[in-house]
Amino acid sequence: MKALMSVGALIGVLGLLMLIGMIFGVVPSNTVRLVEGYMPMQVLSELAVFVAGFTGLSYLANSMGMAIPRFWQGVLFWTFVQTYLKFRIYPPIPFSVRAMYGVVSFVAVFMWVSANEEDWKKFRQPILNVLDANTGFHKALRTLYLILLPILIGGFSFLTMKPSVDEPIELRTVHPAPPASTKVHGKTYTLQTSQNPYRVNLEGKYDQAYSNKLIVEQGMGRLMAPNANPWDEKAEGYLKYVREGGEIFFQNCHFCHGDNLNGRGLHAFAFNPIPANFTDPGTIAQLQETFIFWRVAKGGIGLPNEGFPWASVMPPWEQHLTTDEIWKVILFEYWHTGYYPRTWD
Amino acid sequence: MGSVTRTKLMSVMALCAMIGLLLMPILVAIPALADGSAPAADAKKEGGEAKVEKGKDVYYKTEGIVSGPPAPKTTDSEKDYPRYNFESRVLLWFANQQHLYYGSFVLAVPIFCMVIEFMGVVTKDKAMAKRYDQLAYDFIKISLTAYSLTAILGGILIFTFLTLYPAFFQYLSGIFRPVMHIYALMFVAESGTLYIYYYGWDKMKEGFLKWIHLSMSVVLNVIGTILMFLANSWIGFMMSPAGVDEQGRYLGNIWHVIHTALWNPLNLHRILGNMAFGGGVVAAYSAYRFLSAKTDEERAHYDWMGYIAMALGVAFLIPLPFAGYWLMREVYAYRQQMGITLMGGLLAWLFIIQATMIGILFLSTNYYLWQALGRMRGAEKYQRYIKYLVFLLTCGFLVFITPHTIVMTPAELKAMGGQQHPVLGNYGVMSAKNGGINVIITTTVLSFVWYMRGNKVSTVSWSKFGNIFMGCFFFFAYLNIILLAIYGYYIPANVRVGLSVPQVATTLSCLFFMFALNSVMMKGAKQMGPIEWGKISARSQYALIMLATAFTWMMGLMGYIRSSVRLFWHVNEIMRDNSPWAYTHTVGFAANMISANVLFFWISIMFVFWLGALAAKKAPVEAKAAVPGRAAAPAVGH
Repeated sequence: MKALMSVGALIGVLGLLMLIGMIFGVVPSNTVRLVEGYMPMQVLSELAVFVAGFTGLSYLANSMGMAIPRFWQGVLFWTFVQTYLKFRIYPPIPFSVRAMYGVVSFVAVFMWVSANEEDWKKFRQPILNVLDANTGFHKALRTLYLILLPILIGGFSFLTMKPSVDEPIELRTVHPAPPASTKVHGKTYTLQTSQNPYRVNLEGKYDQAYSNKLIVEQGMGRLMAPNANPWDEKAEGYLKYVREGGEIFFQNCHFCHGDNLNGRGLHAFAFNPIPANFTDPGTIAQLQETFIFWRVAKGGIGLPNEGFPWASVMPPWEQHLTTDEIWKVILFEYWHTGYYPRTWD
Repeated sequence: MGSVTRTKLMSVMALCAMIGLLLMPILVAIPALADGSAPAADAKKEGGEAKVEKGKDVYYKTEGIVSGPPAPKTTDSEKDYPRYNFESRVLLWFANQQHLYYGSFVLAVPIFCMVIEFMGVVTKDKAMAKRYDQLAYDFIKISLTAYSLTAILGGILIFTFLTLYPAFFQYLSGIFRPVMHIYALMFVAESGTLYIYYYGWDKMKEGFLKWIHLSMSVVLNVIGTILMFLANSWIGFMMSPAGVDEQGRYLGNIWHVIHTALWNPLNLHRILGNMAFGGGVVAAYSAYRFLSAKTDEERAHYDWMGYIAMALGVAFLIPLPFAGYWLMREVYAYRQQMGITLMGGLLAWLFIIQATMIGILFLSTNYYLWQALGRMRGAEKYQRYIKYLVFLLTCGFLVFITPHTIVMTPAELKAMGGQQHPVLGNYGVMSAKNGGINVIITTTVLSFVWYMRGNKVSTVSWSKFGNIFMGCFFFFAYLNIILLAIYGYYIPANVRVGLSVPQVATTLSCLFFMFALNSVMMKGAKQMGPIEWGKISARSQYALIMLATAFTWMMGLMGYIRSSVRLFWHVNEIMRDNSPWAYTHTVGFAANMISANVLFFWISIMFVFWLGALAAKKAPVEAKAAVPGRAAAPAVGH
């Protein structure tokens, strides 16, 4: 047990040193990289490793007779989580989400330190000591709190009330609800039931299972499936349409959406927000093809009321592309990102 | 004829009367079921001179004979929307919400009574049987006062509808005419049954009569459930209308009008929600009584009552997210844009608040169980591992509440390099959230298992193997849930939706198999010490109050979400809301309104509790003797 805890403690110390080093630039910030695509699990795993490490540290400190008081354990752990969220994760997490995580981790620390009576007593003892002020040190501390707390609260109130020149926060609806139907080039499409006419098998019939087998593989590299190269001259049917869609994409869309479809095109950073990142699992992977069809056809100007603050400069492509071209470009987007359009069957 | 036989005869007659009351509305409804054929028959009688107009059902796509007027096209006028100098919608919201709170409570509590009374009847320990019986009686006593208030609030709601939304209510009542009559009759049946059940308690407390009494509770709950199903058909129709044509004309088939796309998911979701809510309210009542108790006996009784109420509430809370998931799936299947408005669009942030409330419910439950370990000797061995459960719960919770639509300043948006974050973006979608909630629920199951074996040591010969097996089972359950959540990113959406099934199955396997295995292992177990009822920390009782408040708040929130997803429709795509209030409130206003409703409910229910305490009769001497904490509680006390 002791050996296990020692290993845990070692990991904890190394992890902490690494994190502090990366924050202050002593250690290169890419020493342990967060790899796109694996980041979500990497973050959770790192936190689990840190928890194991801290357990080991606490165990060792206890066995050496240098136990860290429970109160400080709680305070330090909460501070660690906030530091981790603020400095380890990149791109930076917006304050609103960090605030949510901060409150949850605060509750978690409270649940931990008050889970049983003994721990709870240990935790609150330093607080009671200050409040009771039986020693000179505690008396001084209490007086200090008495002065500092109103100043802190006053400062907080001042900062809250101070007029700000920053742009206000926005609750931008990423996917506003689409209409039941949309009219493009004189034809009405029911979004619930319409299908991409080019998602077909070799017999020319709509077949999503067939096209699903031919999309690129997800993950790093995004490799093409064997014998599924749309740029092969012999490619027919679905793959041929993907190629045609790709040509349309590179003639019209890639300037903003990027040649990797990740929203980082040549002109992307002229806009805020930058164009949609199709490689993110929260965009086209969540939507029906007909939703994309509606958004591409109508553009930013066609966003419904719900799409406030209508922060999209995408042109209404129905004015520049034919219906067939729109369907084909959508086909290409799903093929290239390796995502499947949402279906309801 | 002896007096006992006479009582038996009377009891059987009372039960038959209840069943008669239950069946009466069905008999009354039979002509109504044939209602649709009437216009056709009339038309035929006229020798085919009058043309029979047919319409196509907007949902079932079947043809039917037009049997009602079209949905009124209202205008923003005093005629269609009479008003005070105030937002009518808010008044209706308030009346509706209060009626629903009380309605849920009085429907849930008799189900608890039925379960607890049944436990009392079947238990072999006479002291425990009396305790259960007394507890069931306490429960029904609380609900009786609330029942009158429910009826009063129902009346207020109807008057609010009639006076502020006459055109809409006329249309709705025109379509649901037979259903509304059945509803009224069922309400009469419910009242009659409830009073016989309550006032007959002392007369029917032994032997065969007790079984009759128990049967009455079954009838009472069947009536209550049907009542709720009927009321659900109205809101189901407003969200996903069926049985009418595009103009909203009734096509003569009342079953189509009732059985809309969302009716069944709503029924299931509401029944589970009511039960969880009822458990929460009774648990809060017990917590309040525990905290204000003057004697150890009182504390022991209310500690036990709080535990039972919490356990019943949580038993229904665990499947609730799955029922909610089914409801949302059906919403998406019914109208994609409705689903997107709810979960990805306009109302998405309310869903994040809902996720937070669900998380709070499970966190409170776990916290209560950990605190409850403190009243058992021998449970200390589990307490040192609680921190790991906290970690699992927190990770699940953080993923579960991560928003897909993030609130941020334009500067933050720019710093993030786009609307999609590589970490948060992955947590913000359903695949991760399914994993998150299943981890939370599995951890709650684990806490329950620890609680159940807190003061016991298994004496079966294979206990070591059993413990290892249980550990492995939980480990692989977590692993399976997390791996499936990750796998969800690599497969088509329709398959991904289906992945929730193995995830839920994993969680439920933990629940059923591990509970069963644990019970077998703990049969005849060595007790390290009694459960010292009443010796639980005050923090645990605040956790129960938190649980109840979170339930109440979440019910208000979900009701609002469900209602506002219709946007500017009274009846979705059939009858437009042309009042000046046909817009969606801001998140802040909605949150304040929900909080006001919650506050009012809790103030009024405190009054109900106070009334209940006024009428409290002294507990029977035998029951007092068996108060837990005074004597060693048997293992079934869990």
